[in-house]
Order: sequence, then structure tokens, then C-alpha cells
Amino acid sequence: MSSAPATSDLVSLTIDGVPLQVRKGTLLVEATKMVKQEIPVYCYHTKLGPAGLCRVCLVEIEGMPKLQIGCNTPVAEGMVVRTQGDSVDKGRAMVLELLLVNHPLDCPICDKGGECDLQDFSMAYGRGTSDLADPKSSKPKAVDLGPTIVLDEERCVVCQRCVRFDDLIAGERQLVLKDRGHRNMIATATGDPYHHHFTGNVTELCPVGALTSKTYRFKSRPWDLKRTETSCTQCSVGCRMNVDVRQGKVLRTMSVEGDDAVSDWWLCDRGRYNVGYIDAPERIKQPLLRRDGAFVQIGWDDAFALWAKAIRSAIDAGAPERVAAFGGGRLTNEEAYLLARTMRTLGVKNLDWRTGRQRQATPGTSGGTLLDLERAGAIVTIGESSAELAPVMDLRVRKAVRHGARLIRVASQEAPPSMAFADVADVASAAAAIPANVTRIALLWDGVDSALARAAFSALEREGRTLLTYITGEQGNARGAEAMGMLPFAGTAYHVADSGRDFEAVCLDALAGKIETMAIFGANPVRQAADGARVRDALQAVPFLVVTELFMTETAQLASLVLPAAGAFEKSGSIVNLAGDVLPTAAALAPPEGVLSDFEIVVGLARALEIELPDTEEIERATIAAAAALPVGIAFGDERFVGTAKKASSGEGLQLHVLHHAFFGGGTMANDERIVALRPQPTAAFATADAERLGIRAGDRIDLVASAGKIGDLLAEIRDTLRPGNVALVGVHAGSAENGIAADARVRVKNIRHLDVPVEA
Amino acid sequence: MPVVKVLTEGIGELDLTDIAVYRQRDGYRQWERAVRELKSSEVLDIAERSGLRGRGGAGFPTGKKWSFLPAGDKPRYLVCNCDEAEPGTFKDHMLLENVPHLVLEGILLGSYGIGSHHAFIYIRGEFKRGYEIFSRALEAARAAGFVGKNIFGTGYDLEVTIHRGAGAYICGEETALLNSLEGKRGEPRLKPPFPAIAGLYGMPTVVNNVETLAYLVPILRNGPEWFSAVGTERSKGYKIISISGHVRKPGNYEVALGTTVRELIEIAGGLREGRTLRAVQPGGGSSACIFEEHLDLPYDYENMSKAGSMLGSGAFVVFDDTTDFVKCAFNLVRFFAHESCGQCTPCREGGHWLETVLHRFVEGRGLASDLTMMRRVSSTVTGLNLCALGDSIEPFLKSVLQRFPEQFEARVLREVASA
Repeated sequence: MSSAPATSDLVSLTIDGVPLQVRKGTLLVEATKMVKQEIPVYCYHTKLGPAGLCRVCLVEIEGMPKLQIGCNTPVAEGMVVRTQGDSVDKGRAMVLELLLVNHPLDCPICDKGGECDLQDFSMAYGRGTSDLADPKSSKPKAVDLGPTIVLDEERCVVCQRCVRFDDLIAGERQLVLKDRGHRNMIATATGDPYHHHFTGNVTELCPVGALTSKTYRFKSRPWDLKRTETSCTQCSVGCRMNVDVRQGKVLRTMSVEGDDAVSDWWLCDRGRYNVGYIDAPERIKQPLLRRDGAFVQIGWDDAFALWAKAIRSAIDAGAPERVAAFGGGRLTNEEAYLLARTMRTLGVKNLDWRTGRQRQATPGTSGGTLLDLERAGAIVTIGESSAELAPVMDLRVRKAVRHGARLIRVASQEAPPSMAFADVADVASAAAAIPANVTRIALLWDGVDSALARAAFSALEREGRTLLTYITGEQGNARGAEAMGMLPFAGTAYHVADSGRDFEAVCLDALAGKIETMAIFGANPVRQAADGARVRDALQAVPFLVVTELFMTETAQLASLVLPAAGAFEKSGSIVNLAGDVLPTAAALAPPEGVLSDFEIVVGLARALEIELPDTEEIERATIAAAAALPVGIAFGDERFVGTAKKASSGEGLQLHVLHHAFFGGGTMANDERIVALRPQPTAAFATADAERLGIRAGDRIDLVASAGKIGDLLAEIRDTLRPGNVALVGVHAGSAENGIAADARVRVKNIRHLDVPVEA
Repeated sequence: MPVVKVLTEGIGELDLTDIAVYRQRDGYRQWERAVRELKSSEVLDIAERSGLRGRGGAGFPTGKKWSFLPAGDKPRYLVCNCDEAEPGTFKDHMLLENVPHLVLEGILLGSYGIGSHHAFIYIRGEFKRGYEIFSRALEAARAAGFVGKNIFGTGYDLEVTIHRGAGAYICGEETALLNSLEGKRGEPRLKPPFPAIAGLYGMPTVVNNVETLAYLVPILRNGPEWFSAVGTERSKGYKIISISGHVRKPGNYEVALGTTVRELIEIAGGLREGRTLRAVQPGGGSSACIFEEHLDLPYDYENMSKAGSMLGSGAFVVFDDTTDFVKCAFNLVRFFAHESCGQCTPCREGGHWLETVLHRFVEGRGLASDLTMMRRVSSTVTGLNLCALGDSIEPFLKSVLQRFPEQFEARVLREVASA
């Protein structure tokens, strides 16, 4: 909370006869809200600031001959403002009349109808009649702007909110205003499709129905939607989100205005558009048991009985170490808590949420809030880019950079084209690149390389400087899973527990025949672990593997028992985001018949095991306490979190790096065609020197070959930010079983196909 | 005759594009004197005391504009606005083509007056000849050591950069010009901040018109009192008036401000035989018309404003009794609608709408309701726009609609009109 402003920072003025005091510099459009009056706006937006384009926010200020715009006029001492009255009403009605001159009155078929600012303000402040005697101008009505957005040029009121979002917030600068006068229109500068991680926000910013989401066009009237506010669980940011449901279908998701703490009012396209999986026909809707190599449908009671029997046989034999349960990053706090508690009650200690590459989610007590991040004077990132792992958080990074923060990327990562950054080779250089006058530094880590994280922390830590740490995990509730006790060495609220074995160690145990039964809750390690092929071998060696899933993923396919689980929009609970905010999730719709939530699945298992369950109140109390517990004793890059498996790769060839991409992930994205359409082409990026040495040109097609496996037909790209000796893959699931190449393997380039040189016309 | 030769001196007689000729006539003497003998603040003081006001259209006192620049170490820029495109104005490119060294010396003096080390001249794209002549002049001045590093050995550095526009009227608006100069879309900026605080590349900037800067040379030569002694109470000095329309000798005439409207018509040879005056548009396409009753008004900023119009850039268009004011209004509205950047609503939509309606009038397909609408719209939208272009669309239309309603009524479809 900001402290109360000093009296000298306050300005006294009168708006519509009401005296008020506001902070110096406040714009009239904002000050007016404080006296419960409204100044209509189209181009102004709280997060974008004034633009002065629409001219509808006219106010009358005593002593000024002309009407003024409320969006770009700051308060002044003694100012007397009128937001209504003859003069204002006349000017405002004129502007609204002009906006309607060429605006088509196709409201009956416009998606915005019912929540349109042009409708609402015309109703409230418009003239009611029109003197227009000529046809309205005719412009293209359904312009395909890119994979997500359709533009109706006739409806556009040229407020340029979308253009300014792309420039000021996203930093992508793809959208521009083209042509001039009444012929002007929104388009991409290059003519290429409008495509980045945040495009959907422009449909919310658009005050009219000019920019609409392909996924929602002509689907519903807004008043027929049932809205539920929840938190997005696609990544570790946990953006507040409105889910709009009609007749049992999620039709759209919207950001939550006023969510300054987490989302800053934005959503990424992954969070916004990955709702198509909910109704996908591929969803599993009944427990499936592997019998003679094929899955057969069974009932829930039978499923729980078989599972309990498998666990009991190990426990009763006095060998709880032969039992393991994994997952949590995609569960709610309540589910993770109940799972950890049930397992620990049985004496099972092989618990771990870390089935992918990320080793740690809780940054310890040096963690900062998301608001702190945008006030940092320097931001050092190690590991993969937050643009891919935690996209909406990356908008804070961009905001900080726009306000002058230095972005220093250790190792090669992506940054939006307009961002200033420094690429440095190691953490010592990063520390050296920080300007001396910077006292607040943010350190962003993808949670993978713990030694690097520790080194970075100690290199940046200085007397008199604030060092705030963030772990930009890709899983929605990894931090919650840690707090709830889904770690082999820590119980609920980080209390030290008897050490079990982590996921990698249990995989080794499985290969050695030491694991009898394993359960994986909402995770797909065959796809997400660094060496998916090895994980596959391990899971295949588990006699009774249980997987809870929405889809028949690479991991589920190996299971003895697959249990259909509810998705994120189908259950309520809470999560902990990467900044430690405890955020509620709320069910927007019921799961399909036959599908249970992971919570209900754990309850069913516990009952079958005849374990006494805590009551709802106790679960609530315990999860709230654990979620709010300070992660005292956890260090950034904590050694206890480090995996047991050694990193591979030495020898000949190029070092492979698989870069995370926001639109790649588990089953919910693989089973959502709208997300699949947003994925980049499978690409291999080479350092300039390597490309020259190997004779690779940008646009070539190449294959990568390792000692085991091959990835074929990759688009070659040259990046001068890559260091020689490395090749970076985007849009490819290396490390998965399908290509047999480990994500950190050494690879050779084979079969270079040059792009045909286009013939000059 | 009250025609004077100050900036126009020697034009048509001497080749003042030749630096040698210009120097023989004391060219660059004031520049040398300023750099060697005067402080920046003294040049500013002289400009202020002369009463010189901006000759580009707005008529803002030049010295006062300079004085708005905040003190500090930030680089500051002078930008010479040579994007002359106001309908009826043709003085700046005349100066550029005929007295480029005078223009350059003015730019140098202005830059020195605000303490700038980098000046820009934004030349309208169509002024190809003027651009070539000025480029040669700049090279000659650079070769002579008047531009560049360590000028006259004083340690004062001043660079001048020429930038050519790409054909947009709006780029004559100073903030649109700055955007265009920065390589951005040529559209006006939201003010505040004003260019004096955050102009070119976000730095303190002064944008002055060609003619304004050129007058600095004779003002320095003859002293500020020489300039302020002529003119009227608040409109001092001389001005080049571009007189066109229904006069016998259209052209640029340099006069003292305060010369009457009637005298200006006479200077340009008077009306054609047997014709009577209907109207004068005294300040370019953006201005409202004045009429017979204004003939004896002194032509200065205040009196033109009092008459409901403006002096603007000094584009003086005369209309006699052969004028079709409907066509004139259509022509001007079409121009402004075409040149609108389209950023703000009233200009983008209002201009296009009026153009569409006036086009029907030109074709004799007006409606009675259009007249009511045009009167209503033209009296409401002025003042609602982001920049002055939007406020330029309606004044002419409004004034002739009021004065010559019969010309518009005659174009109303009869059956509709009587219905």
C-alpha cells in the first residue's frame, strides 16, 4: 500500500459542484470517477493513458474559452470543472454523431452488442437522430488480421487502443494505423499476420466490435453468458480471469479489470484461448484399465479398489518406499495437500511435483511481488525467457524496461524486438552490467539450473541493494504444490520431512524393479522431462502405474490405470502463484459425467484404503496456513532441490537446447486446435558462425541427428544472440519419446536443403 | 506605394543563390556579428524587442516562443518549417528558391538565439527546385565555414540538416512535422507537452517558419526598433502577402503590417474590369472570409481576428462577383478532408461528411436539410479537434454559407426542397 500523500501533493478542485482533493497530476478523467461521475472515453484507457483522439471526453473548465478533453487535462488548484451542461452536452453529442456517420448500424449481428461503448454512450449522450443523407462508407468487414483476430474496418472508431497496446504494453509494434483521413485503418506494419503472445487483449480494449476473437465471433450475446471469476492456471502467474459460459460451454475468457496485483488487467493468448480442450472429443470420460495390452472401461469403484490393492500390497509388505506419487503443479492447493497428506499417512515419502525440467518453484524469502518487478532498475534473467514461461509477467518486465530498467539476459533468450537489452555470457558479466545507481534488482530464473541460480544470487547481492527473486515456472501451481508438501524432503508448509526420493531417483528405482506402484497426477513427464525416452522406459517398468488425466497423453498411454480428471475450469480451490499470492479458483462449469476432480479421486482412493480423511474445514485451514507460510529456510537455487540425475552431453556436435514456447505444453494445448494453430514452425536456430561453417542459410530445411534419434525437417534460422556451438529448437518436443533425442543431447546437422532463391519479377 | 523590399530585396535582379553575391550585400555579416559579438540571450532579446511574430500562421511572438525553452544541458533543436502548403500561400518556397542564404542565415541566427547546435529544415517534398538550391547554398556556407564546427574560430558548433517531406499538408503542423522528421507517421502529437519542453527526439525544440527566421537577418542588421517602428500596435514589422484570386497582378508583395485590405487589392492590380468584390479570404484556406465592410480594416493579426477571420500565413485570396462559392467551399473542404490524418473524430468524420454533402451541392443535388446540418456542424466542431487542421475545415464554409445562402439554396433539388 502506498502511504497517504502529503498535503502539498494534493490539489483542490470542484467537479460538477462537488469539491474534492486529489493528487497532483491526476487527470480529470480519473478525478471525475472519485465524485461518482463519468466522463465517456474511447481512446483513453487507464492502462494506456491519454491519446486525445476520440474527443468525446469533453469537459467545460471555468476560464477556458473552449471545451477541454478530460483525458489529457491534469487537475489544477481551484479548477472548476463541469462534465455536463449545455456546452459539454452539445460538443459531446456532436462527436458521437460524427462517430456514427460511418459506423455501420449492424448491432444486431455485432458481437459487441450489449457491451459496446458506442451503443452505451450514444444512448446516454447522443443526439438520438441523424441528418445523414448519404450512404456510409464501405470498408472490408471481415479482415483476417491473424490467427486469433478478425477486424471489421467499418466498425473501427480509430481510437488506436490496439495500436497503443501493441506499442506501449506488448512492445511488439505490429499494429499500425495505415493510410490517412477517413480511409485510415488498422493493419500490421508488415502485412504479416498479427501474431504474438498477447493479441487477444486488443479485443477487450476495442470499445466497439471492430476487433473480435475468432473463437467468440457470432457465438453469443453477452447477456446470455454466465460469468465466473477465477484464476488462470496455465502458468505460474495466476492471472485473474473471467470465464463466460453459455449452456455448459466456455465461450470466452476475459481479463479482470482492476487486477493490478497479478495480471495488470491483461491475459496472454494461451490463457485466453486454451479453452477448446474442454469439449474436445478426445477427453477421457471413464476410468480405463489396461488389460492384455489394451484399455478397457471400468467403473470408479473398481478402479479405486484395484489401485488401493496395489498400494496396500507394498505397504503391508513394509515397503512404502516401493510406492510413489507425483504431480501437483497442475493441482489445486487442496488437492495437493490431500494427496501429500494421504500418502504420508501411509508412510509414502516418494512425493514430488517436479516431473519436468523445473527443479524449484519457491524463491525463498527474497521473492518479490509482481508490482515490485516493474519498479526494478535492472532485471537479470537466467534460464529461459519469462516471455514463454510466464507471459503476462513478462509484460511487467517490458513495463520496467520502458521505464528505463536495464534488462540483462544471461545466455540466449528471446526479447520483444523493441526492447533494449544486454546479452551477457555469465552472471559475473551480468553483475558488472548493472548501472551503479540501481538499488533494486529483480532476478528471474526458470527454476532449472540451481547452481547458476545460486551463483547469480551471490553475484548480484550487495549491501544497500534490494535483490528480488522470481521463479518463472510454467506450471500453474508448482509453488502451491511445494507449500502443500509435494516434495520428497519437505512436508506441508516446508516443514522438513523424512527424505523420500525425487521423481528422477524413483525413475532409476523403477528401472531397477524397486517400484511397485506409482501415481502421476496431472503431469506428462514423458513429454516434459529432459530425457523423455528414459522416463518412458522407467514408467514402463512400473507394475501398476496410475495416471489422472484429461487426455490420453504420452504418459497416460503407459499407465495400467487411467483416471479421467476434471480440468481447471471444472473445479474450485486455491493456488499459489510464483510471487506467493494465494489466489482462488472457482468452477465455471461442471466436469463431464463420469469425470472426477483430482480431489475426489484422492478421496476415493483414501476411502478404498480406509484412511480417515480430514473434514473440509480442516483442509481449508491447513491449506490456507501452508499457502501463507513464509518459505523460511529455502534458498534461491536451494541445493536440496537439485536433481539426482546428472546432466548429460559432452562430446562431438552442437549442444542442443530446447526452448520453451508458450503454446507448447501438455494435453490441454495439444488437444485444442486453436492453440495448435498458434504454434511456430519447428525451427532450429544457429549461431552466425556455426551457420557459416556448416553452410546453412536462414530459411533452409535441415535435419538434426543424435546418437539416438533424429528430428527431421526443421526450418533453419540464424540468431546472433546464440553463442557458437549451440543449436536452439523452438516448436519441437525434443526430449520426448517420439524422436528419441534427449533435450540436452549433442546433435549433428544433416541433409541441408537450401531455400530456392526467389526469381526477381 | 506601400510595397517594400526587405526580404524580397534583389529578387529578380541579382542571383542571390550565389554565396558571393549574397556576401557582397553584407550576407552572413549578422551571423558573424552574432557569433563573435553577441550572447545567445542578446539575440533572443533583439528578437523579442522587435515584436516579430510567427509568419507561418499562428502569429505567436517569436522571442516569447524561444524563451519557453527550459534551461538545462539537454540538447535543443531549431526546426525551420518549410512545409508550406496552406492553400493560397506561396511565399516560403519563393524565399527558398531566390534567397536561400538569407533563409539559412536566419536559421543560423535563430539557432544561436536558442543556444542550439543542430538545426533542421523540413522542406516540403514538392519543392524539389527549392531543395536543390538550398542544398547548394548550405554546402557553400559550410565550405565558407559558416556552418559546422568551430564557426569563425569561436568554438561554436552548429550543424544544419535538410529533411524532405513526403507530401502531407499535415506535416506543416509543428508536432506532425516533428514526428515526420523522426521517421514516424506524420500526425500531430497530443499537447501538452509542447515542443519547447519535449519536441524533436523528446528534446526542447523551437519550430519557426521560413519567413520568420529570414526576418531575423534585417532585424539584427537594422536593430529591433527599426522593425517595431512599423506596423500596428501589436502587429509589428513587415510581412510577405501572397495575393491571389480575382486580381490583375497576383503575386507575393512585401508590405508593412497594417496596410489596409483595400490597399492590398490595389497593390495586386485591383479587380478585373467591371467586376465587384464579393469576399476576401485573408489568411489562407483555413480562414473565414471577410467582405466589403472590412475593406478599410488594417491588415494585421488583431483586426483580422476581430473581423471573424485571421491573418494566418498571409495568403490573401480575392473573390469577385463571378465566384461560385459552393464550388469554392467544396474545393477547400475536399482539400482538408483529403489531408486529414484521421487521428481525431471531428476532423476525420466531419471533413469527409461535409465533402460528400458539398459534392452533391456542386452537382445540384443538395437537400434543404443539408443546409441546416452544415450550419449546425460547422458552428459546433471548430475547437473540438486535436490540432488546427480540423479547425480549418469549416470557417470558409461557415462564412460563405452565411453570406451567400442563395448560392447554396439554388443547388437544392427543387422537388425535395418544395416537398
